[in-house]
Amino acid sequence: MPDPITLIFRTAAGTETRVPATPGQSVMEAAVMNGVAGIEGECGGCLSCATCHVFAPEGLGTPGPDEDAMLDCTEVERGPRSRLSCQIAVTAAMDGAVFDIPAAE
Amino acid sequence: MDGAPGMAGHVVIVGASHAGVQAAQSLRQGGWSGPITLLSAEDRLPYQRPDLSKAFLTEDRPDAPPLKGLPFYEANDIALKLNCRVTAIDRALRRVHTDSGETLGYDRLILATGATPRRLSAAAENIHVLRDLTDARALRKALRPGQRLAVIGGGFIGLEVAAAARKAGAGVILFEAAPRCLARALPAVATGVLLARHRAEGVDLRLACGPVAAVLDGTRARALRLADGREIRCDAVVAGIGCTAETGLAQAAGLTLAAGGIAVDAALVTSDPAIQAIGDCAAFTPPGAGAPLRLESIQNAADQGRHAAAVLLGAATPFAAVPWFWSHQYDLRLQMAGFPCPDAPALLRGTPGEAGFSVLHLDARHRLVSAVSLNAAADHMAARRLIAAGVPLDPARAADPGQPLLHAQADAA
Ligand SMILES: Cc1cc2nc3c(=O)[nH]c(=O)nc-3n(C[C@H](O)[C@H](O)[C@H](O)COP(=O)(O)OP(=O)(O)OC[C@H]3O[C@@H](n4cnc5c(N)ncnc54)[C@H](O)[C@@H]3O)c2cc1C
Ligand code: FES
Repeated sequence: MPDPITLIFRTAAGTETRVPATPGQSVMEAAVMNGVAGIEGECGGCLSCATCHVFAPEGLGTPGPDEDAMLDCTEVERGPRSRLSCQIAVTAAMDGAVFDIPAAE
Repeated sequence: MDGAPGMAGHVVIVGASHAGVQAAQSLRQGGWSGPITLLSAEDRLPYQRPDLSKAFLTEDRPDAPPLKGLPFYEANDIALKLNCRVTAIDRALRRVHTDSGETLGYDRLILATGATPRRLSAAAENIHVLRDLTDARALRKALRPGQRLAVIGGGFIGLEVAAAARKAGAGVILFEAAPRCLARALPAVATGVLLARHRAEGVDLRLACGPVAAVLDGTRARALRLADGREIRCDAVVAGIGCTAETGLAQAAGLTLAAGGIAVDAALVTSDPAIQAIGDCAAFTPPGAGAPLRLESIQNAADQGRHAAAVLLGAATPFAAVPWFWSHQYDLRLQMAGFPCPDAPALLRGTPGEAGFSVLHLDARHRLVSAVSLNAAADHMAARRLIAAGVPLDPARAADPGQPLLHAQADAA
């Protein structure tokens, strides 16, 4: 097993939750396994629900075509850093990265 | 609810799966300060069921992905008790009895007992159903090259298992009693594309086959017998013939049942004000619908888990979530939103085929009521928002795949 790293999830109000994540997991899985509120991951990461929407730090790649199309229709309006977190693989280099959780309506 | 225990009473949740775990999480995160006990008849951390008829069947890994890690339950002070089946509810004394002889008092009880697959009348070691991880592990062993799997029932589970079995190299014959698969869930054009793909992948589809029966040879089924007496050889059988809600506890406790489930109102409260029911086991009447119904989906389980918690935390809005569902077969991604109405007049968005299209049902005022999308994820996402918004659409724009569905609202008159 690769060593766990820490990911930080931040609400619109600024509250931060630090969760352990393992390279190979998706960012969604790390959040959901630890019960981060506002990231549901209801379809288990199969690009069917968009309940894993986050504003990701720069430099984690760009959305694929399906992800891109789904991001156009998320509950909270898409921003330039919008990603579906089930499509971002955790890497060792992400230690300490901050993901913003869209504010619930 | 009467005699509300504030936010400090003991909530006992029976059934720790998609609905029960969500209710526990939402209660705690919403500020419930009292004890939360989550009772599971299963012997492992709650896990994701949809995986069991999809990737799990073709991959070599021991477990399905857990819903939450163990530290989640500890950090949120949720007492998860595995291997613990509730055997009776004593409503007068507000306590439950478990199979280990324990009794547990509650202030609020949430029933999240799910559903159980229907079985064939014959039982044999190679006749499978698919509901839990134990079922999936047993079925997976039967999906090998050179083996021939008979799938009974062309519903979502049957079709997903057929796709997984083909991927694993097994031969598949699928028997559907009705002339059309998924007739109550999908418009014929969507079923057509799905079934064409199954045929192209080598599934031997037998529609309108009428009832079939297993032919046993000792402890094993060796064939299926059709209504006309013909026998078709097979190495394993899987029955995908639907589920019945797990209502035994509720019924024995005298709670009102409806539509095969535990009857609940818009607050998901049963005929006993201290008891709620959520997920596959609950029957509710959606706003505007005339009769109670049960839904079997992740969305419904999770949304009802959230709603039941919100009610205990003091929210008063009725349950009115827009249903949605997905199914994956091969690389076909099917998504549905709204209550299905497969035979209502439909608007076709795109050309039916694997390149992606949607079937939209509008009501008389051109409001979207349901949408079925195949390989068209953006349409599905837009449909969920448009159904919830209840705004009239411009049918011509909605049917034009060149324009985003989300912006197909009719111009204000
Ligand atoms: C193979 C498969 C694939 C699926 N695929 C999809 C899909 O792609 N998309 C989708 O939306 N839905 C899918 N579903 C449906 C979805 O999984 C269910 O709707 C969902 O699991 C319902 O959640 P629940 O918590 O209400 O009930 P369940 O998941 O059935 O859980 C109920 C739990 O309660 C426990 N229990 C019952 N009685 C007692 C008792 N007396 N004491 C203690 N515990 C008890 C049971 O052991 C079980 O663990 C699928 C279902 C299956 C089986
Ligand atoms: S978890 Fe469903 S789309 Fe990401």
